[in-house]
Amino acid sequence: MSLPSKAFQRWLHGIAPNTSTADVCRFSGVKRTTLAQQLVRGKVAETSLVSISRAFDMNPFDALAQFEAYAALRGTPVPPTDAELVSQVSTMDLLRAVVQRSEPRDGLAPLVLADTPHATSVRNWVDAVDDGELRHRVSDATGIAPQNFSAHLTANRLPPELALSTSRAAGVGPAGGLVASGLVTEAEAGWPPGARRDALDRMTDGELALLAGERLQALGKALRRQEHELDDTNRIWENLG
Amino acid sequence: MMAVLPWATLFVCLALTAVRIPSAIRGENRMMLVLFVLISLDILLSIEGPYVLIDGWLGDFNLSNLLLRFLLYGTFLLMGIKVARAFASPGGERAIRGPLGLAVLGLTAVLTAFFFFSMDTGGSSVSLSAFDPGPALEIYAALGRFYPGYVAACLLPGIWRSVRRSGPVLLRAASATLLLGLGLLIVSQVFPLIPASVGWLRPLINYSAALASTLGLGGIWLSKAIAHRSSSAVTSTQ
Repeated sequence: MSLPSKAFQRWLHGIAPNTSTADVCRFSGVKRTTLAQQLVRGKVAETSLVSISRAFDMNPFDALAQFEAYAALRGTPVPPTDAELVSQVSTMDLLRAVVQRSEPRDGLAPLVLADTPHATSVRNWVDAVDDGELRHRVSDATGIAPQNFSAHLTANRLPPELALSTSRAAGVGPAGGLVASGLVTEAEAGWPPGARRDALDRMTDGELALLAGERLQALGKALRRQEHELDDTNRIWENLG
Repeated sequence: MMAVLPWATLFVCLALTAVRIPSAIRGENRMMLVLFVLISLDILLSIEGPYVLIDGWLGDFNLSNLLLRFLLYGTFLLMGIKVARAFASPGGERAIRGPLGLAVLGLTAVLTAFFFFSMDTGGSSVSLSAFDPGPALEIYAALGRFYPGYVAACLLPGIWRSVRRSGPVLLRAASATLLLGLGLLIVSQVFPLIPASVGWLRPLINYSAALASTLGLGGIWLSKAIAHRSSSAVTSTQ
């Protein structure tokens, strides 16, 4: 899914009536040929819309909400759950939080969380909203094969339409997946400033330690897999290269 | 088409041999240069012109054909060991250079020589195509296809595993090409079932196998060269 050309052009005319497409591209950093191609095909990528809205000082989240496919974003914003907020804290920040809590020291600068998204934000968000049956429901609702859904998680990608369907299937607010995939920032999605930090502080020591442990375990596995792949590649090159 | 394919294959092999010479002079992976020289020789002896010329020097009774078989066995032994090691397939390596593999090779070689000398092979003829097909000739030809097919079968699982894993795209494409070439060698075991009306399929499969295998090996070399060049470019700009 992407945005229909006609609706996109109507929207663009609404925010920048006297600006040429060339200027729109120059201001927003969207490649002119890319946008032209998307317009011709009748499918404008959400990322183009987001870049253009930012260039014109418009909230991309509100801009998206003006399109029919993103009607779910309209209305009173649904606040993120604590699990969603914490899922958008990077693994290294979680580990820092563990260390800071277990060795409290005066005068230590408070932990400043890295911006969203982080390296495994998509998988962590899906895990945070998954009740065990989520993947089945998403696959029933959208027709996406479970292994393709997993491939997105592994690549830390989530197409916007899939993000919306996942939120809907999980019964959480529509913004979480868009933040996790990096399409919009947490501020653009209307998450209050410091919300992730507050959610982190609300966790008990045990919860925090367990979550950090899970993340560290996953990181270790991913690193080992990369190391194995590198070893395999080097072995082939050593013998046959 | 069928006249061009052998020469094209030979040209590709010679080109890939030539690009290996500098690194072999530096002392890197000399066995791969030997392997490519062997493959080039195999192809050379499969083409009519060079075959008749060389067979003329060897007494004009198709001794070059036997020589070609032995060269092929050597090529596949060497390639099998290198490739099995490269693709981390200890089972495959054992099956090729272990007691079983060497027994298969020895038996194939002895039987090949036996059937060759049991035939009257006077008069140079590339692939012995001028001779009347008989059981001895059939078995001799089947033996020549068998050992390469055996080695290919030992290598396929390891390469397949590696193609399916993630890694540099060019390396995976090259491995897949090598896999295709080896797969064709296994297909070539059913040559006797190919009807004479589509007899051109046989050389097509043979040369496609050789071409795909050498291009695959060449692609692996290329992927390494590119990766090392781009990584050294990164370090030099830092």
